[in-house]
Amino acid sequence: MPEPAGGVCLSVRGLTKRIGGFYPLRDLDMDIACGHIHAVIGPNGAGKTTFFNLLSGVLAADSGQITFEGRAIDDLRPVKRTIRGIARTFQNIRLFRHMTVLENVMIGQHCRSYASLWKALRNVAFHRPFGEVREEREMRVHAMELLEFLGLADKRWAKASDLPYGAQRKLELARALATQPRLLLLDEPAAGMNPHETEELDDVITRIRDRGVTIVLVEHDMNLVMKISDRVTVLNFGTKIAEGLPKQIQGDPAVIEAYLGQDASL
Amino acid sequence: MLDQLFDGYTRSILIFTGIHAVAAYSFFLPFKTGQVSLGQAGFLAVGAYAAGIMTQKFGLPFPVAMLIGGLITGAIGVGVGFPALRIKGIYLLLLTLAFAEIVQGVVMTWEYTGGAEGFQGIPYNAYTLDYVYGALVVLIVFFARLERSSLGRAMDSIHEDETAAEVMGVNVVGVKLLAFSLGAFIAGLAGALFAHHVTYVDSITFNILVGVNILMFVVVGGSSTYWGPLLGAAFLSLLPEFLRMLREWLELLPVLWWDSFPMNRVYGFVYEFLDFENEKRLIAYGIILIVMMIVRPDGILTRDGLRRFRFGRKADHA
Repeated sequence: MPEPAGGVCLSVRGLTKRIGGFYPLRDLDMDIACGHIHAVIGPNGAGKTTFFNLLSGVLAADSGQITFEGRAIDDLRPVKRTIRGIARTFQNIRLFRHMTVLENVMIGQHCRSYASLWKALRNVAFHRPFGEVREEREMRVHAMELLEFLGLADKRWAKASDLPYGAQRKLELARALATQPRLLLLDEPAAGMNPHETEELDDVITRIRDRGVTIVLVEHDMNLVMKISDRVTVLNFGTKIAEGLPKQIQGDPAVIEAYLGQDASL
Repeated sequence: MLDQLFDGYTRSILIFTGIHAVAAYSFFLPFKTGQVSLGQAGFLAVGAYAAGIMTQKFGLPFPVAMLIGGLITGAIGVGVGFPALRIKGIYLLLLTLAFAEIVQGVVMTWEYTGGAEGFQGIPYNAYTLDYVYGALVVLIVFFARLERSSLGRAMDSIHEDETAAEVMGVNVVGVKLLAFSLGAFIAGLAGALFAHHVTYVDSITFNILVGVNILMFVVVGGSSTYWGPLLGAAFLSLLPEFLRMLREWLELLPVLWWDSFPMNRVYGFVYEFLDFENEKRLIAYGIILIVMMIVRPDGILTRDGLRRFRFGRKADHA
């Protein structure tokens, strides 16, 4: 494999998560190249979502190192990792359901516009009572750009929970993008989308990549994975069983076995 | 200033209503980040005693003492807020309740402020009415701005889904701690105002029921909008007055048909119930709370409800 031009964006060494005697993820080594769409696939229960939870800091790893852009991030809280530039979406959609579409996106921008709590509080307490602060206006304009990019601009006043399923997935994407990530973790972005929406999504993901964002994609839709990813890693029972170009993976006997079982004849 | 507009009785009612509203806001702020505190009575007590000591023992003027009382309470709020970060729901309720109990115990045994005999002779503040409503105006402006600000949105997002908020870059620890300690600060102000109005406080003054009452103000008024605590405090504090008025009107009715059975019994019951002394108020509170939870679990005012009344919303900013 030729080394990618931008170098390694995220590097994982010996990453292990243990729950009792069960290892959702065991001794995983992985390098994700800058500017790539790197797909992580595998059967249900292979440890893909656990992998994302460890990367984003929602769960703590039992052992192993995670290095992002050359710096260790193991000890950082999720919010610090987001500020470093790692954003994610959730497999089971976790929008702020009672807030509007626009507000959801603006939450993602909070950490960029208000680096310190003190600044946020000062803007509430000591600003003149009426009128909008500069940060607010900038946030709204930027949020609208993102919503237009994802085709949600006309639904900005809708409650997040009122959106159809596919649009909620897109909103999760917009919210994650609002944190201005350099590494974006997408957890089954196409789940529950119809073929037309999936096609749109593939275009959107490619465009995000072209903006210079590295993407890790967990997805069950193999058409999408094979079409857009630059590199594919296959997990099964918490360990890596194959890695390579999409074409190489498609023909790999270990992968076919993991998906279809032993002695499967295609 | 304001106090010359009203007679003593009305003034007293207005003062207590205002202090209730301030206390309700002290509950509302941590609640905005999903933290339910039953221990606001403890913070009220800290504020009352701290400010009382400042004026009585050190002879400081009331505004300074009130501020110091608030700051001390806020600092203790940080201390209580740290363990409160990790626990949720019923466990947080118990923690805050335990805090209020501890404060009550300390206050009861601390001889410096009179111990079990209570803290007597706190200087009377003749301008409590002005201070209370001044504080309320400041609070309402603050909360109105908070609701339209990024910090307010961050608080709402923590209330909805803490993990998602953290992953989306909201400093959950910082925002929750800020909300909790600012809530304590507000409670401290309310306690200071209260102490310098009634001039005598003891451990019984800030019992568990006070914390429950404060929670009721917010639950009844509506916890999703900043007008809720004000409405709830006003509604529940003025309810006895409304009922007293009702009773006076009831006496004006021609009594002929009330005199015979069964209406005389109904009349007797209603008449007695409207005679609002402390114990019966609790019965009414209980009934109101149960009915509220069934009919309007989100309180009288809700954010969606207010939106509906905002005709012709400013079409589009962006």
